Amino acid sequence: MPTYKLSYFEGQGLGEVSRQLLHLSETPFEDDRISQEDWPKRKDSMPFAKLPVLFVDGKPLPQSLAIARYLANQFGFAGKTPFESAWVDALGDQFKDYFSEMVPYFMALGGDNEEEKSRLQLEVAEPAINKFFSILEKRAKDNGSNGHFVGDSLTWIDIHISDHMGVGEKYFPNAYAAFPTVLALREGTVSLPKLKEWIEKRPVTPY
Amino acid sequence: LLTTMPSYKLSYFPGRGLGEVSRQLFHLSDTPFEDHRVPMDEWPAYKDSTPFGQMPVLFVDGKPLPQSFAIARFLADQFGFAGKTPFEAAWVDALADQYKDYFAEIRPFLFVVFGFGEGDKEKLKKKVAEPAINKFFGILEKRAKDNGSNGHLVGNSLTWIDLQVSDHIGVLELYLPNAISAYPLVNEIRKKTTTDPKLKEWLDKRPVTPF
Repeated sequence: MPTYKLSYFEGQGLGEVSRQLLHLSETPFEDDRISQEDWPKRKDSMPFAKLPVLFVDGKPLPQSLAIARYLANQFGFAGKTPFESAWVDALGDQFKDYFSEMVPYFMALGGDNEEEKSRLQLEVAEPAINKFFSILEKRAKDNGSNGHFVGDSLTWIDIHISDHMGVGEKYFPNAYAAFPTVLALREGTVSLPKLKEWIEKRPVTPY
Repeated sequence: LLTTMPSYKLSYFPGRGLGEVSRQLFHLSDTPFEDHRVPMDEWPAYKDSTPFGQMPVLFVDGKPLPQSFAIARFLADQFGFAGKTPFEAAWVDALADQYKDYFAEIRPFLFVVFGFGEGDKEKLKKKVAEPAINKFFGILEKRAKDNGSNGHLVGNSLTWIDLQVSDHIGVLELYLPNAISAYPLVNEIRKKTTTDPKLKEWLDKRPVTPF
């Protein structure tokens, strides 16, 4: 088995989906968490000067979704057919589009201007969440309301969205109340025994 | 046993943008497909029939698949342009996502030069385009070198990231003629890619578009 090291910040964010894939598949790995203080020193050793980076036998692979897809393919969480895998990818890319729209709101959450946070929640977060989660709700329903976004087994997009929702709710309670099928999908995902075990013991972080 | 090829339709705007890499994959693999180009004024009516309200969309036997890079990767996997190992395929994906990040940074400049909005082209060129290009193409130049300066960004055969980057350079040069003059290895990749005989055949006859 190759040796794996996943380098990311001290948070869930864009790295957690890959940590969860490694835990779900019971694959040993070094969970390399880099503090804000240490990041400037480590930055130049990363191919694109960003995190996460996965090291496979010491060889780096950047970009969160490329990493998640690579691990999902290794461990069987990438869909059962090429078309299913492509739909997992499409939802992953749509998540990225949504995430970029949310960035001004996320930046404000890191500060202490409460008025800015409220304003951006209304003007930025709510429209972006409504747009993306409506797509997810329809997708979950069209897929048969079977607890998965694609096909009939767990894929990395189920994991990634479920984790993101947990972070979102810390700052915006009931953010996803209008999306019951997605909420049920999340409940099913985070209560999987191996995932639940990891979630209960992982470091608690602000994002 | 007769296996029939699926029917393919690719719906996109009348331009290269994020749809062209997939058109090129069809042409390179001699796979018939419907090159469905939706005129800008017909887009609002067509939009609601797409899964995410966006294009491109690939239809495989009538079943839709959205998102440009999900489509490109799916076709590249079918036709053999996705890298030779899982790790190579992942590096193609990583470069494609980095391209997307770069594109988001340069978009304000491109939006204006494509004619979609008003703006100060000179100012946007200096403040937006040049920094974005330097950052991304610096990464690509290093990548090309680390990959052995063999005319490919990943491995030793053509992949869809060679196609995407090469096509984008062509669009960029319409507005910034010397855009990649500081990146000779990337230019070599572009030259090798665009002189592939099958690709060249398509490039010589495709519609000329502003993006």
